[in-house]
Amino acid sequence: MALLDVEGLTKCFGGLKAVSNLSFQVNEGEILGLIGPNGAGKTTVFSLITGFVPPNEGKVLLEGKDIVGLKPYSIAHKGVARTFQIVKPFRKLTVLENVSLAAFLRHSARKEAEAEARRVLERVELIDKAASYASDLTLSEQKRLEIARALATNPKVLLLDEPMGGLNPTEIDHASILVRDICKSGVTIVWVEHVLKAIMNSCHRVIVIHHGEKIADMPPEQIVINPVVIEAYLGKKANSYKKGEPIC
Amino acid sequence: MKKTVLIIIGLIVLGIAPLVVRSPFFVHLMIMVLMWTVLGASWNILGGYAGQVSFGHATFLGAGAYTTMILYLSCGVDPWYGIFIGGIVAVLISLPIGFICFRLRGPYFSLSTLAVAEIVRLVALNWESLTAGPVGLLITTLPQVSFFGKAINWESKVPFYYIIAIITLIALIITYIVSRTRVGAYLLALREDIDSAESIGINTVKARVVALALSAFLAGIAGGFYAMYLRYVDPDAVFSIGLSVEMLFIAVVGGLATVGGPLIGAIVLVTLGESFREHFLSGHLIFYGFFMMLAIRYMPDGVWGRINTLFKKLRLKKDVNHGTA
Repeated sequence: MALLDVEGLTKCFGGLKAVSNLSFQVNEGEILGLIGPNGAGKTTVFSLITGFVPPNEGKVLLEGKDIVGLKPYSIAHKGVARTFQIVKPFRKLTVLENVSLAAFLRHSARKEAEAEARRVLERVELIDKAASYASDLTLSEQKRLEIARALATNPKVLLLDEPMGGLNPTEIDHASILVRDICKSGVTIVWVEHVLKAIMNSCHRVIVIHHGEKIADMPPEQIVINPVVIEAYLGKKANSYKKGEPIC
Repeated sequence: MKKTVLIIIGLIVLGIAPLVVRSPFFVHLMIMVLMWTVLGASWNILGGYAGQVSFGHATFLGAGAYTTMILYLSCGVDPWYGIFIGGIVAVLISLPIGFICFRLRGPYFSLSTLAVAEIVRLVALNWESLTAGPVGLLITTLPQVSFFGKAINWESKVPFYYIIAIITLIALIITYIVSRTRVGAYLLALREDIDSAESIGINTVKARVVALALSAFLAGIAGGFYAMYLRYVDPDAVFSIGLSVEMLFIAVVGGLATVGGPLIGAIVLVTLGESFREHFLSGHLIFYGFFMMLAIRYMPDGVWGRINTLFKKLRLKKDVNHGTA
């Protein structure tokens, strides 16, 4: 049985079908990449899974139990954590406070929550910044803080929404190592990303979404040569493009 | 360590102040300062910690005041229980208000509290069988109570002083506990970002309702005391928007989301206000407003926050000097 099973998920915003009859499975222990052109519906999928937006149709099964209709906080209780594409740290709180707050989910005493938060901060290499305010961090650090906060809730599934967006190549390599590390520690990861290099190097499987529909579901090496995917990203002509030829 | 000493000194000063300074005006001023500290602390829990700006806190003050008054006048319930029951009634009233208003976020929430407060005031004004409407309720005598065999003289202000001092301590202790536990941490998360708070498993509606209930309880108790101290309530005296705004002023000027802030805010504003009230009626609000502007411009973290940063700077300077010497 898959850890997370999405069946026939559909969401319309007015006349626009943001996600349409989308089904996929996430197996325990894997890193699943979720890619697609801008506006394909990737972030909406995350919002649907985590309960921020209710779907029009479809089911989301976590370990066989439907979690559609639950509030975001109780989905977090059940072990699904997410990060936000546009980082949403608690800006006027320190890094340690940010992460402790998430650790409170599993530890009611402040001491234990703080100890857990420190462990997580060491893992994401933010421990030196524990006393800084979240608003004083660089974007790269804020993205890691976002991951740390999600990790501190001790999730089974971690949904990462563009953790590499806006980072430079060194930071991207660094973050890729972190994501793989998290996976090795037993957390299943679903990863939305535009930085394809990072996806290709780290994911076990990649799903491509276009106009809210799934157009491919295969290992990363096959994704890059799949004509349907190339068409979605670059247009029809790209498939017949030969080296040296002018595009128009 | 230093903090404990300061707190003990504070408690001693609080304890002997009315015995040392016997001027009735001074004791009245102290009572007003302490009462407004409780009201500021009440507003601070919801507005400072949880970041939910309310313009309608007079509702809870009024609920506490009327409950205590009505229970005493028609059922003969002693005000000492009445004040406490007033707090509970304020909590009960806060629940449906929270249920309705917390569907809204940010400024829309604030506006809805303003609307609810007006509705409550108008209900109190027109429900004459319960509240006697604009005429108000008046009590002439307070019950005989003896303390260590001595009958308490209600004509003196000193017994009221000790009662409100105890209530203030309770309010500050509640704030301290809130600031130190998971509840307080959750409230801060609400203030910062509701979506993020939900994503890490915080039931944000419940957390806001808890904050509102705690806040309403303190305001209700202060309201009950207010009624007994002045021995008179009418809808405009306890449900007016002016009162709600004064609570906000005190919390903001003192320092949002700090334990001692409301006390500092009340000392500064009430002392100023009461001193000017003698010369022109309602003039105190002008000074509140003026001070509020100064505070927002020069001390956005409030007086208390400002003092804290100054202390930190001084300590840093000391450390640096020691380091070089």
